[in-house]
Amino acid sequence: MSETAPLKPILKSNPQIMLEDAAELVLCKPRLIPLKSFTLEKLEKMQQEAEKARQQVNSDQNE
Amino acid sequence: MDPFYLALSLFRRRKYDKCIDVCTSILEKQSLDQAVWCLKMRAMTQRIYVDDIESEEIPENDFLEDNAVATAPRPGTSMKTSQPPKTGALGSRPRTATGRPISGVSRPGTQNRPGTALDRLRTARPVTGQSARAIRLGTAAMLSQKEGPFIQVSRLNLAKYAKKSRTYLFYHEGDVRNAMELAVQATQYCDFKDWWWKVQLAKCYVALNLIREAEQQLRSVLKQHYHVESFIRLTRIYIRLDQPLSAMEICKSGVEVFPKDVSIMTELARLTEALNDTSTSVKYYRTIVIEDAMNTEAIACIGMYHFYNHQPELALRYYRRVLAMGAHSVELYNNLGLCCLYSQQLDLTYPCFQRALELATDPLVRAEVWYNLSHLAIAAGDMELAIRCLTLSISLDKTHASAYNNLAVLHHKTGNANLVKAYLTSAKELEPDLVEPQINLGLLQTAE
Repeated sequence: MSETAPLKPILKSNPQIMLEDAAELVLCKPRLIPLKSFTLEKLEKMQQEAEKARQQVNSDQNE
Repeated sequence: MDPFYLALSLFRRRKYDKCIDVCTSILEKQSLDQAVWCLKMRAMTQRIYVDDIESEEIPENDFLEDNAVATAPRPGTSMKTSQPPKTGALGSRPRTATGRPISGVSRPGTQNRPGTALDRLRTARPVTGQSARAIRLGTAAMLSQKEGPFIQVSRLNLAKYAKKSRTYLFYHEGDVRNAMELAVQATQYCDFKDWWWKVQLAKCYVALNLIREAEQQLRSVLKQHYHVESFIRLTRIYIRLDQPLSAMEICKSGVEVFPKDVSIMTELARLTEALNDTSTSVKYYRTIVIEDAMNTEAIACIGMYHFYNHQPELALRYYRRVLAMGAHSVELYNNLGLCCLYSQQLDLTYPCFQRALELATDPLVRAEVWYNLSHLAIAAGDMELAIRCLTLSISLDKTHASAYNNLAVLHHKTGNANLVKAYLTSAKELEPDLVEPQINLGLLQTAE
């Protein structure tokens, strides 16, 4: 086999692509957490302080 | 030193508690000193003052709300029927449990999730527009006064006193009814010409849930005098009435009067974001950042936009800017960790999440961090670890629908078929609007 015939590409004029579509289950996306706005932080801080003050008063009344 | 001078100086340095103490000791000696009395009142108000435009809570999904104009609004004319995002359901960002797309910054009113422990604690719907928080702050402030209330409001002759005592009433005592009476008297006294009092009246109406009356007041204010606050308050009223388009119109006319005003632009950006029009909203946020380079809300929202638009490197830059501005919180470190993960900066990912977990105290936030850590594990290919992370997340927050969905998918991959369906159905029950469990359930059904 010294002479090799040049390879002929086989090209169909109307090709069909076969793809096996394995359906995969979908993951939910990662969630960025919304940052806290300045007002919200201040509100939460004040709420904690208010809670502390309330507990203080309650314990004073119990004594 | 003159004690009154000391009190004034303390007030200026914002040491309100000390200021109140000094005023009390002066008043014990001279009980009729009006200046001291006024200063004490101001200090007590300032101590618990919060920007009430920012802290206003707008009830979402309230089926008893009868203020909404249309019961079955056309698509695009209401917050509830806003147009779905154009990129397709899976390309968009995740949503909160109430169906709004999540935003870069949580504000009061956007943060609560129905079904969580916090929400269940509130047994009844609020009767007034005033938040439960405001009332609690008011009562706590009163409790901390051992000698009884500073002013016996019910005994006051309201017609005699002016501006300052109104803010005291509204903020400190939380007594909106009396504050409103005072505002009404004052408006009459000024022959209905003073815009400031009208705004205050509108504020009281909103707190008492009399939205239409508040709208009337603010409309008449805008005829007299242009002020940023009145524009923003009127916008909020239209949002309460579920008329986003009118709200948008008010904002736009506000921007015409005050070009590039940051607070009105922020309002506009939030509104467009809530209406699912993220690209327009980001345009507004970009203008805000040009005006005010330290605006955390705008930077965070642009960052989030880039993250869910498949540009995590850009998002990382924005969040790093927030970090450089001095913020130091769980949320920020969690977001930085995610941005690092998806922009291939793996060496920084673990430290970020570690910091986030160290800082997290609220179980709901911890649950979110563990949920995001499971994505890190999935990216590393460690399914065991991912499943553990998700289980931790669910143990902290029993209503985390996305975690249930992802747990189902992971069990499907590891071949644990009998758990998959159970997890998917519970995810769907917890958040009926979530797309992924529905798709997955459909896929499972076609496979059977």
